[in-house]
Amino acid sequence: MTRKGEVSPDPTAIGDVAAPPFVVLPDPMRLFALRAARLRALAETSALAPYLRFLADLAAAQNMTLDGLPEPTRPDADALARAKKFEMPPLDRSRILADAALAATFDRLFAAAQKIEQPAAAADALARVMQAGLAEQEAMARAVLADALPVEAMAEHVYIAAALQIHFARLAAGLAAGSLVSLGDGTCPACGGAPSATMVVGWPGAHGARFCTCSLCATLWNVVRIKCVLCGSTKGIGYKEIEGGAGAIKAETCDQCRGWVKILHQHKDPGIDPFADDVASLGLDLLMRDGPYRRGGVNPFLAGY
Amino acid sequence: MNMDLSRRQFLGTAGAGLAGGALGAFGFGEIEAAFADSIRPFKLVNTTETRNTCPYCSVACGVIMYSKGDLKKGEPAEIIHIEGDVDHPTNRGTLCPKGAALLDFVKAETRLRYPMVRRPGSDKFERISWEQALDRIARLMKDDRDANFIAANADGVTVNRWTTTGFLAASATTNETAFATYKVVRSAGMVVFDNQARV
Repeated sequence: MTRKGEVSPDPTAIGDVAAPPFVVLPDPMRLFALRAARLRALAETSALAPYLRFLADLAAAQNMTLDGLPEPTRPDADALARAKKFEMPPLDRSRILADAALAATFDRLFAAAQKIEQPAAAADALARVMQAGLAEQEAMARAVLADALPVEAMAEHVYIAAALQIHFARLAAGLAAGSLVSLGDGTCPACGGAPSATMVVGWPGAHGARFCTCSLCATLWNVVRIKCVLCGSTKGIGYKEIEGGAGAIKAETCDQCRGWVKILHQHKDPGIDPFADDVASLGLDLLMRDGPYRRGGVNPFLAGY
Repeated sequence: MNMDLSRRQFLGTAGAGLAGGALGAFGFGEIEAAFADSIRPFKLVNTTETRNTCPYCSVACGVIMYSKGDLKKGEPAEIIHIEGDVDHPTNRGTLCPKGAALLDFVKAETRLRYPMVRRPGSDKFERISWEQALDRIARLMKDDRDANFIAANADGVTVNRWTTTGFLAASATTNETAFATYKVVRSAGMVVFDNQARV
């Protein structure tokens, strides 16, 4: 017979219990390469193939830009402590701009992007953004960081946004995941950015958990499911998907704030990349546009929806 | 969000219809317009996800029920899938084999949908109304209590026991329901009582 104390039954250890981390910081060295690969895979079957291939090339350019970039100026201990004390994001957008690493990111990304096959409109915009001085590029960056893309120079600003994605992903990667705390609904705990989409993952130890993905720094943060990520309401949440779909990509609608955000079920389609699949599922945006809800997810590459 | 404003400005100035925004600005407007045409015949369908508590036992695991259709929008809804709720602190996404089979429980042909009675001597259940069922239960309980109520024990001490009828209440009740159940059952003198099904 078993003696008392020989076994210590722990009913909570039965099965695979999900204990999702609060944040998953981006790994810039893999982020853009995986994104490019996914965009290329999606382009194989999508009617949006030319745009997806262009974005795949741009993601590949973002990936190439990383190699040998100078270290970005990271927030010092004082700034981190102050951000924590006042529940502000540790990456302060207003202080990020005066950074030699960002200027180098602009130069290198735009040089790499010149080699991409692209329509004349895109090439012209790229030429204009390259000719603009650093001061003007930083002014454009401020507009992107305020989620206010001026229509007359949309493409230029989206090129700037692509560079900012690199810079902020590198900055976010340098933070300590354990030190980040929730900063409220719809706010990235690393950079204060808005979510571009949310994703239900199938990762071991976090299966079935939902993560918001930051439109700027690509940090993933855990958010309770069946809850509006824009306003935090749990009342009147509904899901819409295109008829006959596999249930992998849906629009999560909120009757309180009348907003909607894409929810990507990565556990159903393990290839899903939150950025690539957001763009490739443009059909959902087109159909949602006729409805009463406004798109709440921010993605400069889908500006206009 | 500012992006909405930008779009309206763009559509106003350029009159480009669907080819507004980033795709148009990058020169992919034609592809976007063709794609929009191809997607137009498709419809959106409503699905719902609802949190609930597993009805089987006192652990009260959280579940998410997926249904096709949205009752709030006046559509018929049908449960298509049930899984453990990852955000629920009790079970964190897990379910026991009984809980994992909840969908079959919901859809079971043999599931009790209305009150039924098998009368003494009968070999089958027959359907009755809630009114009849509650009247009958109250009548039988009252008769049994009147016949078997023990007001005092052999020593003459008041005990007010009713031992011949037992009560088993549901597992997925709220605290308030459990409180009310306890008060009613104990006030009647019932001693055989469990307010939660056991694991």
